[in-house]
This record gives sequence, C-alpha cells and structure tokens, in this order.
Amino acid sequence: MVSKTVTVTNEQGIHMRPAGVLAAEMKKFPGCTVTLKVGEKTAKATAIMQLMAAGIKCGSVVEITADGENEQAALDKAVELFESGFGE
Amino acid sequence: MRIVDLLSKESILLNGAPKTKSEAIDMLIDLQVKGGRIADKAEYKKGILARETMGSTAVGEGIAIPHAKSSSVTGPSLAAMTVPGGVDYESLDGEPSNLLFMIAAPNDGDVHLEVLSRLMTILMDEDFRAKLLSAKSKEEFVDVIDNMEKEKFPDEVQSAAENDNKGYRVLAVTACPTGIAHTYMAAEALEKAGKKMGITIKVETNGSGGAKNILTKEDIENCDGIIVAADKSVEMSRFDGKKVISTKVSDGIKKPEELIENIVSGNAPVYHHTGAVAEDSSADNESFGRKLYKHLMNGVSNMLPFTVAGGIFIALAFLIDTIAGAPQDSNFGMYTSAAAFFKTIGNVAFNFMIPVLAGYIGMSIADRPGFLVGLVGGSLAATGSTFTAVAGDIPSGFLGALFAGFVGGYLMLGLEKLCDRMPKSLNGIKPVLIYPLAGLGIIAVVMCAVNPFMGIINTAVSDFLNHMGSSSKVVLGCILGAMMSIDMGGPFNKAAYVFGTAAITTGGYDIMAAVMVGGMVPPIAIALSTTFFKSRWTEEERKNGPVNYIMGLSFITEGAIPYAAADPVRVIPSCMVGAAVAGGLSMLFNCTLMAPHGGIFVFAVVGNWAMYLVALAAGSIIGMLMLAVLKKKNNKI
Repeated sequence: MVSKTVTVTNEQGIHMRPAGVLAAEMKKFPGCTVTLKVGEKTAKATAIMQLMAAGIKCGSVVEITADGENEQAALDKAVELFESGFGE
Repeated sequence: MRIVDLLSKESILLNGAPKTKSEAIDMLIDLQVKGGRIADKAEYKKGILARETMGSTAVGEGIAIPHAKSSSVTGPSLAAMTVPGGVDYESLDGEPSNLLFMIAAPNDGDVHLEVLSRLMTILMDEDFRAKLLSAKSKEEFVDVIDNMEKEKFPDEVQSAAENDNKGYRVLAVTACPTGIAHTYMAAEALEKAGKKMGITIKVETNGSGGAKNILTKEDIENCDGIIVAADKSVEMSRFDGKKVISTKVSDGIKKPEELIENIVSGNAPVYHHTGAVAEDSSADNESFGRKLYKHLMNGVSNMLPFTVAGGIFIALAFLIDTIAGAPQDSNFGMYTSAAAFFKTIGNVAFNFMIPVLAGYIGMSIADRPGFLVGLVGGSLAATGSTFTAVAGDIPSGFLGALFAGFVGGYLMLGLEKLCDRMPKSLNGIKPVLIYPLAGLGIIAVVMCAVNPFMGIINTAVSDFLNHMGSSSKVVLGCILGAMMSIDMGGPFNKAAYVFGTAAITTGGYDIMAAVMVGGMVPPIAIALSTTFFKSRWTEEERKNGPVNYIMGLSFITEGAIPYAAADPVRVIPSCMVGAAVAGGLSMLFNCTLMAPHGGIFVFAVVGNWAMYLVALAAGSIIGMLMLAVLKKKNNKI
C-alpha cells in the first residue's frame, strides 16, 4: 500500500468534471483500490458520487492511498491529476 | 444550506417524459425559471450547455446533475425532475437517467460545490432514490428529502429548530436613574445593533413611566442570554440560571454590538439569583464604587417624582399667592386657601423625599428587609431624632438619609448572614418578624447616635453657604453649573442636583436656581449650534437639533448626551463653560427657584426671572460659540 498527500489547487475544487476525470482514469487500474481521505470523509476514487459527496474544496489537503496491483502507477497518476489541476 | 430550502415546489416535476437529453435540459431550465432565481434564461442555458460539452453530468445510478455557475443566477436554487421511463443523458455507465437535479449557483462562492456534495451524500442511499422516484406528490418528494437531510445531518436539525423558534436570541433590560433619556437611547442602540448583526433582540425599558415591552417568561426561557444595561436595580430573580451580562446603561449606548456578541458567543456568566440580595451576585465583576453608585441612583430615581411633583405644587402655591398679591412674609404661599392647598400637599410629597431616598437605597442593597431600615432611618434623619430628643432635634437631612440608606442596607445584609446560623425551623418567621424587628431596633439606635453629628455637618454646610460672600456665591454657582453638564445625568450631575434639591429644604433657593440653569444650558447650546452653525454637525445631528430646544427648556439635560457621546472632547467642555457662566450669573443676579424641576414651566416662580433668562441666554450662547470654535467644519453639508 502506498500513499501521498496533495493539496487541491484548482479553484473550483473537485466538482463534477474533475471527479469524472479522476474516476475515469482510476478505472484504468482495475486491480487497485484508490481511496481519497479529506478530513473525516473518505471516497473511492472510482466513484464519482462519493467524490462529490466528499465536497473537496480548493486548498483542501487530500491523502491519496492506493492498494493492489500497480499501486505505485495508480498513485502517481492520481497525484499527477491533482497537481495539474485536472487540466483547469 | 439545506436542499429543501433551495428546492421550491414550483421547480419540481414528477413523472416527466423528455425524449432526449436536450429536451430534458430545456424542461429543467423552465423549472428553474419558475423558481424565480434566474435573471437571464438564455445566459443560464449557455452555462448549462457549456458544462455538458466538457462531459456529461450524469454520474451513474440513474442520476444526472446538470449545473452552472452564472452571473444570470441571483441566488442558489435547485430544480428536480423524475423520469420513470428514463432518458439517455449520455451517462458514463451508459444507463438511462431517471432522477435529474439541476443546480443554479451565483458566480461567487462555493455554493455549487456544497450543494453537489450534499446532494451526492443523500443520493448515494438506494432506498432514498427509490422513495424519490415513487413520490406521489411534490409535497411527498420534498418530505422525503427533508427526512433524509434530518437523518444524515442531525447536527443541523437542532440549529434549524432553533432558527424556527419564534423567540428572541438576545434579551435586554435598560434602565437609568431618571428614566427619561438613557434608558431609551440604550434600547434603541441595542435594537439597531441587533438588526445590523441579524440577531433577534427584545429590549425591556424600565423608564420613568414604568417598564415597557416587558420580557415574558417564554422570552426568557428561549433566549441565549440577557443584557442588563442599568444604573439602577432591576428585577433580576426572573433571570436565574440564564446567561446574564450586567453593565452600565452607557455601555448599552456605546458598545451594543460587543454586548450582543458576548451573549451570542456564550461568554457571559450564568446568573444565580440568591433571593435576598438583588444584585450582589450579578455584580461580581462590578467595582464596589459602581455598586454604591447604583444603590444611590436607585434612591435618587425613586425620590425624583416626589421632588418634581411636590416642588411644582409648592411653586404653584407661591405663584397663586403672588397673583393674589399676598405679602411676602413667612406665611407666603399659605396666604390664600388655594395656595395653602397646593403648599400643604406639596409639602406632604416633599416630606417623603428623604425617607424614600434612604428607603430605596436600603432596598437596593438588601432587598425588602433593607426597605424598612432605609425608610425608617431616613425618617429619623428627617426628624433628627437623638437619644436626648427622640421626637426630633436638628434634622440631618439628606446626608443623614444617605447614611441611613447605606448603613441600614449593609447592616441588614450582615444581619441576614448572622441569621443563617439560626435553626431552619425559624426560616418562616425571619422575613416577617426577625428581620423587621431587629432591623428597626438597630437603625433606631444607629440613627439616634449619629444624628447629632450629621446634623452638625449639615448645618455647617448650610451655614457655610449662607455666610458665603456674593463673590464666592458666584464661584459656587459656576461650579454647580459646570457639574450639571459634565456628565449629563451621571454622578457629577446628580451630586450637584441632589445638593440643589437639598438646598431647597434649607432655604437655599439661589442654589437650586444655579443648578437648574446649569442643567438647561447644554441642550440649548447644542440646539442653537445646530441652527446657526450647521456645518459643525452631521445631517442626523442637525435634524434632531430642534428637539434639544424643548429638552433644554424643560431642564432635561440628557438631551445633550448623543451629541456629547459623539464628540466628548469638544462638546463637554463647551457645555461646561456655558453652564458655568449661566450658573455664576444666576447667582450674581440673586435668582431663586423653589421648584426642583420644571425648566421654563416654573420660570414664573423664579425670583428675578428676567435676569435668570439673561443668565440662561448668555450661558447658552457662550456654549454655542465654544462649540463653533472647537468643532471642526464639515464641508459636506
């Protein structure tokens, strides 16, 4: 299991579009479970609804955890998406 | 932000049947428009479509949440549609969507994210989605969401319930010794501040006309806390167990927001009423000096009606005899039967002054047991009873009464403490027998022992004033005038005023005249200034200027307070100089006044009234000129 902490940089937070992008990317790692932890809330990175329910705002500190096959690659991809601001 | 607050019934459509995604969007936008928060429909639609081109907002599980942040949105709102047959909303999972929510959010803030988060949190529940889809009416649809929100966010339910409560969050009681101006100014300031801060507030005013807008039991039960801004005792037992801030009435005027903030933030201490002592427990953070002042003011404010009414009656008696042409000898004021009527009744009222002053000081200190010792002690001071002459010798007057009130009150407190050691079976007879009996005995002994000394002091002060030469009398007039306008109703003013009213009882009518003219100057000087030097004042101050003519002419010095409070460094010295001049001139012209109140209405009985008017005018004009010099010009007229 690997994990890394990132800070949300895109101004609008993780609204529906970034959540969709993240979920779509994470679905490419079927053998790996990626989880986000924000404050007391957790969300599966593949579940758009859970990501939305977490209500992640700009500036939030998110702990990303990947567990399973290709976990390092999955984590790296997730971190890259956060750091790039999901292309916004 | 609750979903049910954002979703109006007009914006809900059950059992919709759009054939395509774009038709569904049009239907939802129409629903949004019905909700009344969309200023520009075309602009809003543009935003919704732009969002959809970035990727469908159908998130799976049959849910789609189209949304847009736009300047065309005047406030956050939701629209909802159920589509039992499903519509192809280009969902990621390829399934049709049957539950559609559309979010409209204004451009600034994170509202859309909060609403999204909330919606998603509740929509993750499959049973909930099923209930929404099977809702038979819009009411049921909303109820389902409402129940779900209460279940998922239980913390909010409580606060929402509190908000629904019709009660006031903050209560306040304002009171000042005279109950004419301060009481209502503090009430107004608190109400204004509450409105500004968005906090419901109810203020009870304990003014001279009795308590108004009285706090009900229900109000008190439901409130967060109570602000007591009072310079005299107010009924406190009703606040037992609530958070209470006890402070000066002037704090209510000067820093209402701070007081409200302290109640709302829960920083105020919880008040425990002890029964016998009206305010000692509430006043832990009050200095001893402030407590003394409060007790004194309780006596003065209760004495004042007797002074005013009795004084005007006596003044009327003198006026009637003047008109009747009665000889101005020792029988003056009793010469005609009409005059005798007013003089006698007036004197009856006057005779209560000193006992009432002492009685209410005692009551303020030691509650009801203190009333008896104060009242009787004050009466003994008025008669001047001593051991050798129980029926009365040299009256110790108001000094004796102050002594009786304070000493009697604190003695009763001590007595109550001592009685705590008595068997509990005696509790019932303590207040009806033991306290009154022991209190009466103690105060009788104390007053008879002290009266000779108090009488000596009182006589000495009177003699000193009587033997003052005309030049030092003028100085005294100046000092009294200035004292009247230093704090306009505060301790200096009241000390001078009590001195003046007391002087009436010993025949010092010239002193009362100087005191009254000193108290009339500040409002008139300010009123004149707002008329002739408009540039020195704000628009609001100018508008209220004329009222001060009336206040000043009626000898209600408190009218000047708002002006003095706004700019004390310039206004107070101006008023003091003007009042000192008026007081000094009044003395110089040997003006006299037998009524302790009344302003222009008792000018008919002012001795040498023409020169009294001159004194008043001179003082007021000097005050006005001082204000014109000291205050800065405001160019924005």
